[in-house]
Amino acid sequence: MSIMRVRWGPQHPVSGQWAFWLDVDGDIVVNMEPDIGYTHRGIEKVAENRTYIQNVPVVERTSVFDAGNIVFGYVQAVEELMGIEIPERAKYIRTIVGEMSRIVSHLYGLGLLAIAVGFETMLMWFINDRELFLDLFEMLTGARITYSFFIPGGVLHDLPQGFYDEAMRRLDYFERRLKDYWKMFFLNRTFITRTRGVGVLKREDAIRLGVVGPNLRASGVEADVRKDEPYAAYDQIDFIIPTEKEGDAYARGGVRFHELEQSVSIIRQALKKIPDGKIRVKVPITPTPPKGEAYSRVETARGEIGYYIISDGSNRPYRVKISAPSFRNLLAMPFLSRNVPMADIPTIYLSLDLIPLDVDR
Amino acid sequence: MMRKVEEWKEGRCRLFHFEIGKIQDWKPVKDLLNWARAWSLWSVHLCTGCCSPELMAVACSRFDAERFGTLPFPTLRECDLLFILGVVSEKMAKRVKITYEQMPEPKYVIALGDCAISGGLWWDSHNVVQGVDKIIPVDVYVPGCPPRPEAWIQGIRLLQKKIMEGR
Repeated sequence: MSIMRVRWGPQHPVSGQWAFWLDVDGDIVVNMEPDIGYTHRGIEKVAENRTYIQNVPVVERTSVFDAGNIVFGYVQAVEELMGIEIPERAKYIRTIVGEMSRIVSHLYGLGLLAIAVGFETMLMWFINDRELFLDLFEMLTGARITYSFFIPGGVLHDLPQGFYDEAMRRLDYFERRLKDYWKMFFLNRTFITRTRGVGVLKREDAIRLGVVGPNLRASGVEADVRKDEPYAAYDQIDFIIPTEKEGDAYARGGVRFHELEQSVSIIRQALKKIPDGKIRVKVPITPTPPKGEAYSRVETARGEIGYYIISDGSNRPYRVKISAPSFRNLLAMPFLSRNVPMADIPTIYLSLDLIPLDVDR
Repeated sequence: MMRKVEEWKEGRCRLFHFEIGKIQDWKPVKDLLNWARAWSLWSVHLCTGCCSPELMAVACSRFDAERFGTLPFPTLRECDLLFILGVVSEKMAKRVKITYEQMPEPKYVIALGDCAISGGLWWDSHNVVQGVDKIIPVDVYVPGCPPRPEAWIQGIRLLQKKIMEGR
Protein backbone atom coordinates (compact mmCIF):
# COMPACT_ATOMS: atom_id res chain seq x y z
CA MET A 1 0.00 0.00 0.00
CA SER A 2 1.15 3.52 -0.63
CA ILE A 3 2.22 5.66 2.28
CA MET A 4 0.27 8.84 2.92
CA ARG A 5 1.58 11.90 4.72
CA VAL A 6 -0.87 13.37 7.22
CA ARG A 7 -0.53 16.63 9.09
CA TRP A 8 -1.64 16.70 12.71
CA GLY A 9 -2.00 20.19 14.16
CA PRO A 10 -1.55 22.97 15.15
CA GLN A 11 -5.33 23.42 14.85
CA HIS A 12 -6.29 20.09 16.37
CA PRO A 13 -8.00 19.18 19.66
CA VAL A 14 -5.06 17.24 21.08
CA SER A 15 -2.12 18.73 19.23
CA GLY A 16 -1.35 21.75 21.40
CA GLN A 17 0.93 24.42 19.98
CA TRP A 18 2.78 22.26 17.47
CA ALA A 19 2.24 19.88 14.59
CA PHE A 20 3.23 16.34 13.65
CA TRP A 21 3.88 14.89 10.25
CA LEU A 22 2.58 11.32 10.24
CA ASP A 23 3.44 8.84 7.47
CA VAL A 24 0.56 6.41 7.57
CA ASP A 25 0.14 3.05 5.87
CA GLY A 26 -3.58 2.43 6.19
CA ASP A 27 -4.16 2.98 9.88
CA ILE A 28 -0.61 2.21 10.99
CA VAL A 29 1.83 5.06 11.56
CA VAL A 30 5.19 4.12 10.07
CA ASN A 31 7.05 7.36 10.75
CA MET A 32 6.44 10.52 12.71
CA GLU A 33 8.19 13.87 12.62
CA PRO A 34 7.46 16.64 15.09
CA ASP A 35 7.22 20.14 13.62
CA ILE A 36 8.18 22.45 16.46
CA GLY A 37 8.78 26.18 16.75
CA TYR A 38 5.24 27.54 16.82
CA THR A 39 5.74 29.22 20.17
CA HIS A 40 9.38 30.21 19.88
CA ARG A 41 9.55 33.51 21.71
CA GLY A 42 13.32 33.70 22.05
CA ILE A 43 13.33 33.50 25.84
CA GLU A 44 17.07 32.93 25.98
CA LYS A 45 17.76 35.98 23.78
CA VAL A 46 15.22 38.20 25.53
CA ALA A 47 16.74 37.24 28.89
CA GLU A 48 20.05 38.80 27.84
CA ASN A 49 18.38 42.21 27.55
CA ARG A 50 16.75 42.29 30.99
CA THR A 51 18.16 42.62 34.48
CA TYR A 52 18.32 39.57 36.73
CA ILE A 53 15.08 40.41 38.59
CA GLN A 54 13.21 41.32 35.39
CA ASN A 55 14.12 37.91 34.04
CA VAL A 56 12.04 36.06 36.64
CA PRO A 57 8.71 36.50 34.79
CA VAL A 58 10.47 35.93 31.46
CA VAL A 59 11.83 32.49 32.32
CA GLU A 60 8.53 31.65 34.03
CA ARG A 61 6.85 31.72 30.59
CA THR A 62 8.96 28.68 29.62
CA SER A 63 6.15 26.64 31.07
CA VAL A 64 3.31 28.42 32.85
CA PHE A 65 1.75 25.08 33.76
CA ASP A 66 4.44 24.52 36.36
CA ALA A 67 5.44 28.10 37.14
CA GLY A 68 6.81 27.41 40.63
CA ASN A 69 9.47 24.87 39.75
CA ILE A 70 10.53 26.57 36.51
CA VAL A 71 11.58 29.77 38.28
CA PHE A 72 13.15 27.73 41.10
CA GLY A 73 16.12 26.72 38.96
CA TYR A 74 16.77 30.19 37.57
CA VAL A 75 16.66 31.80 41.02
CA GLN A 76 19.01 29.18 42.44
CA ALA A 77 21.52 29.75 39.64
CA VAL A 78 21.50 33.52 40.28
CA GLU A 79 21.99 32.91 43.99
CA GLU A 80 24.93 30.65 43.23
CA LEU A 81 26.44 33.40 41.06
CA MET A 82 26.06 35.99 43.81
CA GLY A 83 27.02 33.65 46.64
CA ILE A 84 23.84 34.18 48.65
CA GLU A 85 22.62 31.76 51.32
CA ILE A 86 18.86 32.10 51.74
CA PRO A 87 17.07 31.86 55.14
CA GLU A 88 15.67 28.54 56.33
CA ARG A 89 12.04 29.73 56.27
CA ALA A 90 12.36 30.81 52.63
CA LYS A 91 13.58 27.32 51.73
CA TYR A 92 10.49 25.76 53.27
CA ILE A 93 8.12 28.21 51.58
CA ARG A 94 9.84 27.45 48.27
CA THR A 95 9.39 23.74 48.87
CA ILE A 96 5.68 24.19 49.59
CA VAL A 97 5.13 26.33 46.48
CA GLY A 98 7.18 23.93 44.33
CA GLU A 99 5.16 20.91 45.41
CA MET A 100 1.83 22.71 44.96
CA SER A 101 3.00 23.64 41.50
CA ARG A 102 3.83 19.99 40.81
CA ILE A 103 0.34 18.92 41.89
CA VAL A 104 -1.28 21.55 39.66
CA SER A 105 0.82 20.47 36.70
CA HIS A 106 0.21 16.74 37.18
CA LEU A 107 -3.54 17.27 37.53
CA TYR A 108 -3.50 19.15 34.24
CA GLY A 109 -1.47 16.40 32.57
CA LEU A 110 -3.70 13.63 33.89
CA GLY A 111 -6.78 15.55 32.79
CA LEU A 112 -5.42 15.71 29.26
CA LEU A 113 -4.54 12.00 29.39
CA ALA A 114 -8.14 11.32 30.42
CA ILE A 115 -9.49 13.23 27.46
CA ALA A 116 -7.07 11.42 25.12
CA VAL A 117 -8.90 8.18 25.88
CA GLY A 118 -12.27 9.93 25.73
CA PHE A 119 -12.97 10.08 29.46
CA GLU A 120 -14.42 13.56 29.87
CA THR A 121 -15.70 13.10 33.41
CA MET A 122 -12.18 12.69 34.71
CA LEU A 123 -11.08 15.83 32.88
CA MET A 124 -13.71 17.75 34.85
CA TRP A 125 -12.62 16.12 38.12
CA PHE A 126 -8.93 16.79 37.66
CA ILE A 127 -9.34 20.36 36.46
CA ASN A 128 -11.79 21.13 39.26
CA ASP A 129 -9.49 19.80 41.97
CA ARG A 130 -6.69 21.83 40.42
CA GLU A 131 -8.70 24.89 41.47
CA LEU A 132 -8.17 23.91 45.14
CA PHE A 133 -4.48 24.65 44.77
CA LEU A 134 -4.93 27.61 42.45
CA ASP A 135 -6.96 29.22 45.25
CA LEU A 136 -4.12 28.53 47.68
CA PHE A 137 -1.71 30.16 45.24
CA GLU A 138 -3.99 33.15 45.02
CA MET A 139 -4.06 33.41 48.81
CA LEU A 140 -0.28 33.17 49.04
CA THR A 141 0.96 35.05 45.99
CA GLY A 142 -1.98 36.99 44.57
CA ALA A 143 -2.00 35.24 41.20
CA ARG A 144 -3.54 32.01 39.96
CA ILE A 145 -1.01 30.71 37.48
CA THR A 146 1.81 33.13 36.77
CA TYR A 147 2.98 34.15 40.25
CA SER A 148 6.58 35.34 39.95
CA PHE A 149 6.96 34.42 43.58
CA PHE A 150 10.62 33.45 43.87
CA ILE A 151 13.23 36.19 43.69
CA PRO A 152 16.99 35.96 44.12
CA GLY A 153 17.43 36.06 47.90
CA GLY A 154 14.20 34.44 49.03
CA VAL A 155 10.48 34.70 48.36
CA LEU A 156 8.19 37.70 47.96
CA HIS A 157 5.62 37.19 50.73
CA ASP A 158 5.35 35.30 53.99
CA LEU A 159 2.61 32.71 54.51
CA PRO A 160 -0.59 34.69 55.14
CA GLN A 161 -2.72 34.36 58.26
CA GLY A 162 -4.86 31.24 58.21
CA PHE A 163 -2.84 29.64 55.42
CA TYR A 164 -1.92 26.62 57.54
CA ASP A 165 -5.54 25.72 58.39
CA GLU A 166 -6.79 26.39 54.88
CA ALA A 167 -4.02 24.32 53.30
CA MET A 168 -4.57 21.40 55.71
CA ARG A 169 -8.32 21.46 55.07
CA ARG A 170 -7.77 21.36 51.33
CA LEU A 171 -5.13 18.64 51.56
CA ASP A 172 -7.50 16.46 53.62
CA TYR A 173 -10.16 16.85 50.98
CA PHE A 174 -7.67 16.23 48.19
CA GLU A 175 -6.45 13.01 49.80
CA ARG A 176 -10.00 11.69 49.91
CA ARG A 177 -10.34 12.60 46.26
CA LEU A 178 -7.13 10.73 45.39
CA LYS A 179 -8.77 7.48 46.52
CA ASP A 180 -11.71 8.24 44.23
CA TYR A 181 -9.32 8.87 41.34
CA TRP A 182 -7.73 5.48 41.81
CA LYS A 183 -11.08 3.69 41.83
CA MET A 184 -12.70 5.71 39.09
CA PHE A 185 -9.79 6.25 36.69
CA PHE A 186 -6.90 3.86 37.24
CA LEU A 187 -9.03 0.77 37.90
CA ASN A 188 -11.36 1.61 35.03
CA ARG A 189 -11.39 -1.16 32.47
CA THR A 190 -11.66 1.15 29.47
CA PHE A 191 -8.70 3.20 30.61
CA ILE A 192 -6.60 0.10 31.28
CA THR A 193 -7.41 -1.35 27.86
CA ARG A 194 -6.56 1.89 26.08
CA THR A 195 -3.24 2.47 27.88
CA ARG A 196 -1.76 -0.91 28.94
CA GLY A 197 0.97 -1.89 26.49
CA VAL A 198 0.66 1.34 24.51
CA GLY A 199 3.91 3.22 23.89
CA VAL A 200 6.20 0.88 25.79
CA LEU A 201 9.51 2.58 26.58
CA LYS A 202 11.99 0.03 27.87
CA ARG A 203 14.55 0.88 30.53
CA GLU A 204 17.58 0.86 28.22
CA ASP A 205 15.75 2.86 25.52
CA ALA A 206 14.69 5.46 28.07
CA ILE A 207 18.27 5.91 29.23
CA ARG A 208 19.62 5.96 25.66
CA LEU A 209 17.12 8.60 24.52
CA GLY A 210 17.80 10.78 27.54
CA VAL A 211 14.24 10.83 28.80
CA VAL A 212 13.79 12.60 32.16
CA GLY A 213 11.25 12.93 34.93
CA PRO A 214 8.15 10.77 35.48
CA ASN A 215 8.60 9.21 32.05
CA LEU A 216 12.02 7.87 33.06
CA ARG A 217 10.69 6.70 36.42
CA ALA A 218 7.86 4.85 34.71
CA SER A 219 10.54 2.81 32.89
CA GLY A 220 12.06 1.64 36.16
CA VAL A 221 14.92 4.11 36.65
CA GLU A 222 14.96 5.73 40.08
CA ALA A 223 16.26 9.18 39.18
CA ASP A 224 15.04 12.35 40.84
CA VAL A 225 17.02 15.54 41.44
CA ARG A 226 15.18 16.02 44.73
CA LYS A 227 16.93 12.89 46.06
CA ASP A 228 20.13 12.85 44.00
CA GLU A 229 21.13 16.43 44.68
CA PRO A 230 18.76 17.85 47.33
CA TYR A 231 17.98 21.53 47.07
CA ALA A 232 15.79 23.83 49.23
CA ALA A 233 14.36 21.81 52.14
CA TYR A 234 14.12 18.43 50.43
CA ASP A 235 16.98 16.96 52.47
CA GLN A 236 15.00 17.44 55.70
CA ILE A 237 11.81 15.82 54.43
CA ASP A 238 11.30 12.13 53.89
CA PHE A 239 9.52 10.97 50.79
CA ILE A 240 9.93 8.17 48.29
CA ILE A 241 10.36 8.25 44.52
CA PRO A 242 7.53 6.27 42.93
CA THR A 243 8.65 4.06 40.05
CA GLU A 244 6.98 1.55 37.75
CA LYS A 245 8.51 -1.22 35.69
CA GLU A 246 6.28 -1.45 32.64
CA GLY A 247 7.10 1.82 30.91
CA ASP A 248 3.78 2.06 29.06
CA ALA A 249 1.21 4.85 29.04
CA TYR A 250 -0.57 3.41 32.08
CA ALA A 251 2.67 3.32 34.08
CA ARG A 252 3.42 6.95 33.19
CA GLY A 253 -0.04 7.95 34.42
CA GLY A 254 0.45 5.82 37.54
CA VAL A 255 3.78 7.45 38.41
CA ARG A 256 2.13 10.86 38.20
CA PHE A 257 -0.69 9.69 40.44
CA HIS A 258 1.72 8.37 43.08
CA GLU A 259 3.71 11.60 42.87
CA LEU A 260 0.53 13.46 43.79
CA GLU A 261 0.36 11.41 47.01
CA GLN A 262 4.02 12.12 47.74
CA SER A 263 3.56 15.84 47.09
CA VAL A 264 0.66 15.99 49.54
CA SER A 265 2.83 14.33 52.18
CA ILE A 266 5.75 16.72 51.47
CA ILE A 267 3.50 19.78 51.82
CA ARG A 268 2.13 18.48 55.13
CA GLN A 269 5.60 17.86 56.54
CA ALA A 270 6.92 21.22 55.33
CA LEU A 271 3.95 23.09 56.83
CA LYS A 272 4.50 21.37 60.19
CA LYS A 273 8.29 21.76 60.26
CA ILE A 274 8.50 25.34 58.96
CA PRO A 275 10.75 27.45 61.23
CA ASP A 276 10.28 31.11 62.11
CA GLY A 277 12.57 33.78 60.79
CA LYS A 278 13.17 36.00 57.80
CA ILE A 279 11.78 35.19 54.39
CA ARG A 280 14.53 36.84 52.34
CA VAL A 281 17.97 38.35 52.60
CA LYS A 282 18.58 41.86 51.35
CA VAL A 283 19.49 41.91 47.67
CA PRO A 284 19.80 45.17 45.66
CA ILE A 285 16.98 45.84 43.19
CA THR A 286 19.39 45.44 40.26
CA PRO A 287 21.79 42.73 41.42
CA THR A 288 25.23 42.79 39.81
CA PRO A 289 26.85 39.39 40.33
CA PRO A 290 30.61 39.08 39.85
CA LYS A 291 32.09 37.55 36.70
CA GLY A 292 31.51 33.84 36.52
CA GLU A 293 29.11 31.09 35.62
CA ALA A 294 26.62 28.92 37.45
CA TYR A 295 24.56 25.83 36.76
CA SER A 296 21.56 24.71 38.73
CA ARG A 297 19.09 21.93 38.24
CA VAL A 298 15.74 21.21 39.82
CA GLU A 299 13.05 18.59 39.34
CA THR A 300 10.01 20.09 37.68
CA ALA A 301 6.78 18.20 37.14
CA ARG A 302 7.98 17.05 33.70
CA GLY A 303 11.53 16.25 34.72
CA GLU A 304 14.87 17.83 35.30
CA ILE A 305 15.40 21.40 34.13
CA GLY A 306 18.88 22.92 33.95
CA TYR A 307 19.87 26.59 33.92
CA TYR A 308 23.32 27.68 32.86
CA ILE A 309 23.99 31.38 33.42
CA ILE A 310 27.13 33.30 32.47
CA SER A 311 27.69 36.69 34.04
CA ASP A 312 30.10 39.30 32.64
CA GLY A 313 29.95 41.50 35.73
CA SER A 314 27.13 43.79 34.52
CA ASN A 315 23.54 43.85 35.77
CA ARG A 316 22.30 41.75 32.83
CA PRO A 317 23.23 38.10 32.20
CA TYR A 318 25.61 37.44 29.31
CA ARG A 319 23.89 34.15 28.48
CA VAL A 320 21.01 32.15 29.92
CA LYS A 321 20.79 28.61 28.61
CA ILE A 322 17.72 26.60 29.52
CA SER A 323 17.71 22.86 29.05
CA ALA A 324 14.02 22.08 29.26
CA PRO A 325 12.50 18.70 30.21
CA SER A 326 9.91 18.46 27.44
CA PHE A 327 12.59 18.93 24.80
CA ARG A 328 14.38 15.86 26.10
CA ASN A 329 11.19 13.84 26.37
CA LEU A 330 10.31 14.85 22.81
CA LEU A 331 12.98 12.46 21.50
CA ALA A 332 10.92 9.53 22.78
CA MET A 333 7.88 10.62 20.77
CA PRO A 334 9.03 9.61 17.22
CA PHE A 335 10.58 6.47 18.71
CA LEU A 336 7.30 5.37 20.33
CA SER A 337 5.10 6.36 17.38
CA ARG A 338 6.49 3.78 14.99
CA ASN A 339 4.17 0.94 13.92
CA VAL A 340 1.29 1.93 16.17
CA PRO A 341 -2.34 2.59 15.17
CA MET A 342 -3.14 6.22 14.60
CA ALA A 343 -5.68 6.18 17.44
CA ASP A 344 -2.87 5.57 19.92
CA ILE A 345 -0.95 8.73 18.97
CA PRO A 346 -2.93 11.03 21.36
CA THR A 347 -2.46 8.56 24.21
CA ILE A 348 1.29 8.36 23.63
CA TYR A 349 1.66 12.10 23.22
CA LEU A 350 -0.35 13.06 26.29
CA SER A 351 1.06 10.29 28.48
CA LEU A 352 4.55 11.72 27.87
CA ASP A 353 3.11 15.03 29.13
CA LEU A 354 4.91 17.10 26.51
CA ILE A 355 4.25 20.79 26.24
CA PRO A 356 5.38 22.69 23.15
CA LEU A 357 5.96 25.94 25.10
CA ASP A 358 8.76 24.23 26.93
CA VAL A 359 10.24 22.71 23.77
CA ASP A 360 10.37 25.95 21.79
CA ARG A 361 11.16 28.41 24.58
CA MET B 1 -36.74 25.72 -13.10
CA MET B 2 -32.97 26.08 -13.15
CA ARG B 3 -33.37 29.82 -13.52
CA LYS B 4 -35.56 29.91 -10.42
CA VAL B 5 -32.94 28.00 -8.43
CA GLU B 6 -30.22 30.35 -9.61
CA GLU B 7 -32.34 33.33 -8.62
CA TRP B 8 -33.04 31.80 -5.25
CA LYS B 9 -29.34 31.21 -4.67
CA GLU B 10 -28.46 34.74 -5.57
CA GLY B 11 -31.27 36.04 -3.38
CA ARG B 12 -33.20 37.71 -6.16
CA CYS B 13 -36.37 35.62 -5.69
CA ARG B 14 -39.32 37.54 -4.24
CA LEU B 15 -41.51 36.17 -1.46
CA PHE B 16 -44.19 38.25 0.27
CA HIS B 17 -42.76 41.53 -0.97
CA PHE B 18 -39.30 40.73 0.38
CA GLU B 19 -36.28 39.63 -1.56
CA ILE B 20 -35.09 36.42 0.08
CA GLY B 21 -31.48 37.60 0.14
CA LYS B 22 -32.51 40.73 1.97
CA ILE B 23 -34.82 39.11 4.50
CA GLN B 24 -32.02 39.14 7.03
CA ASP B 25 -32.00 42.91 6.83
CA TRP B 26 -35.59 43.02 8.07
CA LYS B 27 -35.24 44.11 11.69
CA PRO B 28 -37.15 41.33 13.53
CA VAL B 29 -35.29 38.65 11.55
CA LYS B 30 -31.99 40.41 12.07
CA ASP B 31 -32.54 40.63 15.81
CA LEU B 32 -33.51 36.98 15.97
CA LEU B 33 -30.41 35.94 14.04
CA ASN B 34 -28.13 38.07 16.20
CA TRP B 35 -29.72 36.68 19.35
CA ALA B 36 -29.13 33.15 18.12
CA ARG B 37 -25.55 33.89 17.14
CA ALA B 38 -24.74 35.52 20.46
CA TRP B 39 -25.81 32.49 22.49
CA SER B 40 -24.10 29.81 20.44
CA LEU B 41 -20.52 31.00 20.10
CA TRP B 42 -18.57 27.84 19.45
CA SER B 43 -14.86 28.41 19.68
CA VAL B 44 -12.02 27.00 17.60
CA HIS B 45 -9.44 24.98 19.44
CA LEU B 46 -6.26 26.75 18.37
CA CYS B 47 -3.63 27.19 21.09
CA THR B 48 -1.15 29.86 20.10
CA GLY B 49 0.57 30.59 23.40
CA CYS B 50 0.53 30.08 27.13
CA CYS B 51 -3.03 31.10 28.05
CA SER B 52 -4.19 27.51 27.47
CA PRO B 53 -4.21 26.41 31.16
CA GLU B 54 -6.89 29.00 31.80
CA LEU B 55 -8.86 27.74 28.80
CA MET B 56 -9.28 24.50 30.74
CA ALA B 57 -10.46 26.35 33.84
CA VAL B 58 -12.95 28.33 31.76
CA ALA B 59 -14.26 25.29 29.89
CA CYS B 60 -14.61 23.06 32.98
CA SER B 61 -17.24 23.09 35.63
CA ARG B 62 -16.06 25.75 38.08
CA PHE B 63 -16.26 28.74 35.75
CA ASP B 64 -18.14 26.96 33.00
CA ALA B 65 -18.31 29.27 30.00
CA GLU B 66 -20.71 26.79 28.43
CA ARG B 67 -23.60 28.40 30.32
CA PHE B 68 -23.07 31.39 28.02
CA GLY B 69 -23.07 29.13 24.99
CA THR B 70 -19.30 29.04 24.43
CA LEU B 71 -18.07 25.53 23.80
CA PRO B 72 -14.60 24.60 22.53
CA PHE B 73 -15.20 22.55 19.42
CA PRO B 74 -12.76 20.48 17.34
CA THR B 75 -13.93 21.30 13.82
CA LEU B 76 -13.37 24.86 12.72
CA ARG B 77 -15.90 24.61 9.89
CA GLU B 78 -18.69 24.74 12.46
CA CYS B 79 -17.19 27.41 14.69
CA ASP B 80 -17.79 31.13 14.79
CA LEU B 81 -15.43 32.29 17.53
CA LEU B 82 -11.63 32.28 17.52
CA PHE B 83 -9.77 32.72 20.80
CA ILE B 84 -6.20 33.94 20.35
CA LEU B 85 -4.62 32.30 23.38
CA GLY B 86 -1.65 34.50 24.12
CA VAL B 87 1.56 35.07 22.24
CA VAL B 88 1.55 34.69 18.42
CA SER B 89 4.93 33.90 16.88
CA GLU B 90 5.88 34.51 13.25
CA LYS B 91 5.41 30.86 12.39
CA MET B 92 2.04 30.65 14.14
CA ALA B 93 0.84 33.90 12.51
CA LYS B 94 0.43 32.18 9.12
CA ARG B 95 -1.65 29.40 10.71
CA VAL B 96 -3.80 31.90 12.60
CA LYS B 97 -4.55 33.64 9.31
CA ILE B 98 -5.35 30.35 7.55
CA THR B 99 -7.60 29.28 10.42
CA TYR B 100 -9.43 32.60 10.36
CA GLU B 101 -9.95 32.42 6.60
CA GLN B 102 -11.31 28.88 6.80
CA MET B 103 -13.97 29.76 9.36
CA PRO B 104 -17.46 30.43 7.94
CA GLU B 105 -19.10 33.83 8.26
CA PRO B 106 -20.09 35.37 10.64
CA LYS B 107 -16.90 35.04 12.67
CA TYR B 108 -15.63 36.81 15.74
CA VAL B 109 -12.21 37.04 17.37
CA ILE B 110 -11.29 37.56 21.02
CA ALA B 111 -7.63 38.39 21.71
CA LEU B 112 -6.64 37.11 25.14
CA GLY B 113 -3.61 38.21 27.06
CA ASP B 114 -1.17 41.07 26.82
CA CYS B 115 0.96 39.25 24.25
CA ALA B 116 -1.94 38.95 21.81
CA ILE B 117 -2.90 42.59 22.30
CA SER B 118 0.46 44.31 21.90
CA GLY B 119 3.35 41.87 22.26
CA GLY B 120 3.32 42.28 26.04
CA LEU B 121 6.33 40.75 27.74
CA TRP B 122 7.90 40.00 24.35
CA TRP B 123 7.98 43.61 23.12
CA ASP B 124 11.62 43.21 22.04
CA SER B 125 11.55 39.60 20.89
CA HIS B 126 12.73 38.74 17.40
CA ASN B 127 10.04 36.17 16.65
CA VAL B 128 6.81 37.54 18.11
CA VAL B 129 4.06 39.39 16.22
CA GLN B 130 3.46 42.62 18.13
CA GLY B 131 -0.30 42.34 18.44
CA VAL B 132 -2.56 39.89 16.64
CA ASP B 133 -4.65 42.72 15.13
CA LYS B 134 -1.87 43.16 12.57
CA ILE B 135 -2.95 39.85 11.01
CA ILE B 136 -6.70 39.50 11.59
CA PRO B 137 -9.47 41.85 12.81
CA VAL B 138 -10.17 41.57 16.55
CA ASP B 139 -13.53 42.21 18.23
CA VAL B 140 -12.75 42.11 21.95
CA TYR B 141 -9.43 42.50 23.79
CA VAL B 142 -9.03 40.91 27.23
CA PRO B 143 -5.87 42.00 29.10
CA GLY B 144 -4.00 39.94 31.68
CA CYS B 145 -1.14 37.47 31.64
CA PRO B 146 -2.99 35.13 31.50
CA PRO B 147 -6.46 36.74 31.96
CA ARG B 148 -8.42 35.46 34.93
CA PRO B 149 -11.41 33.24 34.04
CA GLU B 150 -13.76 35.99 35.24
CA ALA B 151 -12.14 38.48 32.84
CA TRP B 152 -12.32 35.86 30.11
CA ILE B 153 -16.06 35.38 30.66
CA GLN B 154 -16.59 39.14 30.75
CA GLY B 155 -14.92 39.27 27.34
CA ILE B 156 -17.41 36.71 26.04
CA ARG B 157 -20.31 38.73 27.50
CA LEU B 158 -19.00 41.91 25.87
CA LEU B 159 -18.85 40.14 22.53
CA GLN B 160 -22.43 38.90 22.97
CA LYS B 161 -23.56 42.45 23.71
CA LYS B 162 -21.76 43.65 20.60
CA ILE B 163 -23.40 40.99 18.44
CA MET B 164 -26.88 41.66 19.82
CA GLU B 165 -26.51 45.36 19.13
CA GLY B 166 -25.84 44.46 15.50
CA ARG B 167 -22.03 44.69 15.47
